[in-house]
Amino acid sequence: MSIVIETENLSRTYKTYDKPEGLWESVRGFWARKYTEKVALAPTTLKIESGQIIGLVGANGAGKTTLLKMLSGLIHPSTGSARVLGFEPWRRDSRYLRRMSILLGQKNQLWWDISPIDSFSLLMEIYDLNREDAKKRVAMLAEMLECTHVLHTQLRRLSLGERMKMEIIGSLLHSPDVLFLDEPTIGLDIIAQTTIRKFLGDYVRDKGPTVILTSHYMDDIAKLADRLLLISKGSIVYDGTVNDFITNAKSALKISFGLSNPLESSMPLTLDATLDKGQQEFSVKVMAEELAPALSKITSLPGVLDLKIEEADFEDIIRAFLEKESRVLSTRSPHES
Amino acid sequence: MHFLRRNLAFFRLAVLTNLEYRVNFFTDAILQPFCTSLIELTLWFAVFASATSTTIGGFTREYYLAYALWTAFVARIATSWMYEFKMIEEIDSGSINGLLVRPMSFFEYYLSQLLGYKFITTVISLLIPLAMITFFQLPTIYSRIPLALLLITYYLVLVHTIGFIVSSMAFHLNRIYSLTGTKNLALWLVSGELVPVDLLPEPYKTWVLDLPFCNGVYIPVAYITGRVGTSMVWHGFMTTTVGLAVFSIIAVFMWRWGLRKYVGTGA
Repeated sequence: MSIVIETENLSRTYKTYDKPEGLWESVRGFWARKYTEKVALAPTTLKIESGQIIGLVGANGAGKTTLLKMLSGLIHPSTGSARVLGFEPWRRDSRYLRRMSILLGQKNQLWWDISPIDSFSLLMEIYDLNREDAKKRVAMLAEMLECTHVLHTQLRRLSLGERMKMEIIGSLLHSPDVLFLDEPTIGLDIIAQTTIRKFLGDYVRDKGPTVILTSHYMDDIAKLADRLLLISKGSIVYDGTVNDFITNAKSALKISFGLSNPLESSMPLTLDATLDKGQQEFSVKVMAEELAPALSKITSLPGVLDLKIEEADFEDIIRAFLEKESRVLSTRSPHES
Repeated sequence: MHFLRRNLAFFRLAVLTNLEYRVNFFTDAILQPFCTSLIELTLWFAVFASATSTTIGGFTREYYLAYALWTAFVARIATSWMYEFKMIEEIDSGSINGLLVRPMSFFEYYLSQLLGYKFITTVISLLIPLAMITFFQLPTIYSRIPLALLLITYYLVLVHTIGFIVSSMAFHLNRIYSLTGTKNLALWLVSGELVPVDLLPEPYKTWVLDLPFCNGVYIPVAYITGRVGTSMVWHGFMTTTVGLAVFSIIAVFMWRWGLRKYVGTGA
């Protein structure tokens, strides 16, 4: 398989204005402004093969969208280089733009004041598509997404889920080779989420584009991605297959229990977990090899109630992993990672 | 060919979008130009009512009324604020993302829409000066209208380029709508919308005539009403071309500079 996306020490730093509180500070801001620099993405080196579906996961502000924006050519990097389909994205070569698509779940990309069918007609001209083929494609995609009935309704009058379906059709109309999906199911109800997730799965299996997908819903990632990139505070902290991650995750366990009286003093349970003073209900994640010593400490406590041991789910494991990485990164400078 | 089809699609988009909101369109294309025409006519009626001579600068009241009517019509075509506001808003809010990832340019996208919007409103609002000119029997050389409209359309490209430069500042600064207002006030002064340029004292009159900005209002209106000849229109095409060359260089620089700084979520 050929390498489709390649980055070398790609990073981005933002400059933000710190606005102190109060009227006087607003006046003072006319001549004296204080700016701080924030590393949105630490130097990142990646190689992605064609046809792969990458799940990019991280907390808010971790740097996921920044990476996608650089790879789609929306923003320039502060350092480093990137090639997508052989092009430097931020040069915005039209040959590149014709072969890629980005769907930003939190921004409308279609035209608000006209119907989706008019928007698609406009996209056909922008991408210079054969009109008959493109019309058939719209009909086919709308059928798959079960939204044919709203194609002629003004976009602003559609529900969030219907709008997202239209955005998806718009982003796939020109059959992109590379697809960046940034939170495609954000804010949608469970039915719309399921429909879109199923559609994306079928589409990707059928057409085989290279996809980078970000989502806060771990189900999206677990069901669609075959490679996982975990990003924390601007750094890639895990890069491996989803299967490997899940295999590791399966060795993680969740212990929950109560105490008849609040804990009198804090107690370290494992290297990463501490039972806090004053609490009565506990739920902690431990790795399989830590289970025996942890249980031994718990059962030595007075008045243990409802002790349960469960397998942690995918979302719990990712959250725990990112929390742990976040603590590790906080102790280093941003560029050390 | 694809370039033309694509831009025709943007042109159509502006027409479609404007026709979508009927009350706003009617107000914009009929009521506003009608009110502006009434204000201009009232002003020149008042000036001549209190004047001690029947001519000002060698022209009679009828010439000024015709000038005022055509100015009200032409100035609306040659002024751009709505699409400039939209461009600023796109950059400010980050909604420009949806356009930057398409194989097209932001400049052409908005220029074609501006032309589409001007076309649909001009076709309708042209009825107002034509009706009033006929009613008051004011001096107008109708055969000159096509060439004058051609100059205004060409000038509109220059206006859009200046608007594009102002909008590009939104990559660096938030909320710069006041710059559009200030720029339009400056153009109001030098375009001949306020008073005919030939009433200005020398050397300002020569300076203003050598700048491209009077090609938006003064030159086409003076040409239609017979104050200047065809040579001034050709001079207008030339100064607009020079202006376009200068402002295009600035626009390219500002755009590239802005994109390097853009963070994808607005300024």
